[in-house]
Amino acid sequence: MIKITGYCHITDLLCAVNGKILLQPSPDSEHSWFRQIYNFADIQYPKFHKMDALAQAGVLGVELIRLFAARPMDFQDEGVDLVFANRYASAATDRRFQASYADHMSPSPAIFVYTLPNIITGEIAILKKWYGENTFVVMPEFDPGFFTSYIQRHIARGCEAVIGGWVQIDEENTEVFIFLAEPIPAEPIPAEPIQADDGAVRLGVRELLEIYQQHLS
Amino acid sequence: MDQLKEDLKHQIIEQLNLEDVTAADISDDMLLFDANGLALDSIDALEMIVLLEKYHGIQVVNPEEGKSAFLSVNSLAEYIRQKSN
Repeated sequence: MIKITGYCHITDLLCAVNGKILLQPSPDSEHSWFRQIYNFADIQYPKFHKMDALAQAGVLGVELIRLFAARPMDFQDEGVDLVFANRYASAATDRRFQASYADHMSPSPAIFVYTLPNIITGEIAILKKWYGENTFVVMPEFDPGFFTSYIQRHIARGCEAVIGGWVQIDEENTEVFIFLAEPIPAEPIPAEPIQADDGAVRLGVRELLEIYQQHLS
Repeated sequence: MDQLKEDLKHQIIEQLNLEDVTAADISDDMLLFDANGLALDSIDALEMIVLLEKYHGIQVVNPEEGKSAFLSVNSLAEYIRQKSN
């Protein structure tokens, strides 16, 4: 059986793991919302500060699941496949890059390197040293059928885990939902509830949509 | 306070788009390209070259010079002072 053994939401209003709210943004903080989460989780990764918001969201999601869903994530280097999606690719960073030469008359290489959405998978791969297959898809809205099918196919093919999710960030809105899916030894399937005490959820289109919608609509 | 070093910290933050980093986060001797420092990389080295030209009118033409100058804020300040004399 495949289960979603940990998942994380980050919106403009909250940060939650396995449905439980961990933190809400402090209006008095001198830091950005993502930096507040970084500090809260006590993550030590200086490269984080150079990343664009998409890559930061990916790193935060993976680390929050590891820390607060208590998943060790001790997979083989090539045992993890990554699959992410969003609605507008890297449009927000593309606009920042455009502004960097419109406003300052010099294009910024540091911003340019983030003008592709799949950089999020590269940054997670570098951080965790995971060198499995990775995919980034642009789609109009979160599609639980796509993710469920992807997870099932890749785990059937032998990968130890799939990490992925929906990471849509622009100037007005933050929609982050990141999950860890792993094959779990077969056990009796309870009729209800779908969520076990440890927060794990058995994989299915309905179940994936249900946990996505806990903090995103 | 060494004003040149303080200015350099602000210029690094501005040029490298380190939006959530403050000058106080960067110590004078922090290794800028070390994973435990600012974790800068080769792309950022390009930004540092742009920074030196934009803010200080210095063109780095010898890559070996850049390698030692970009170690830390201390070495950057020293490099700028040498070039300005």
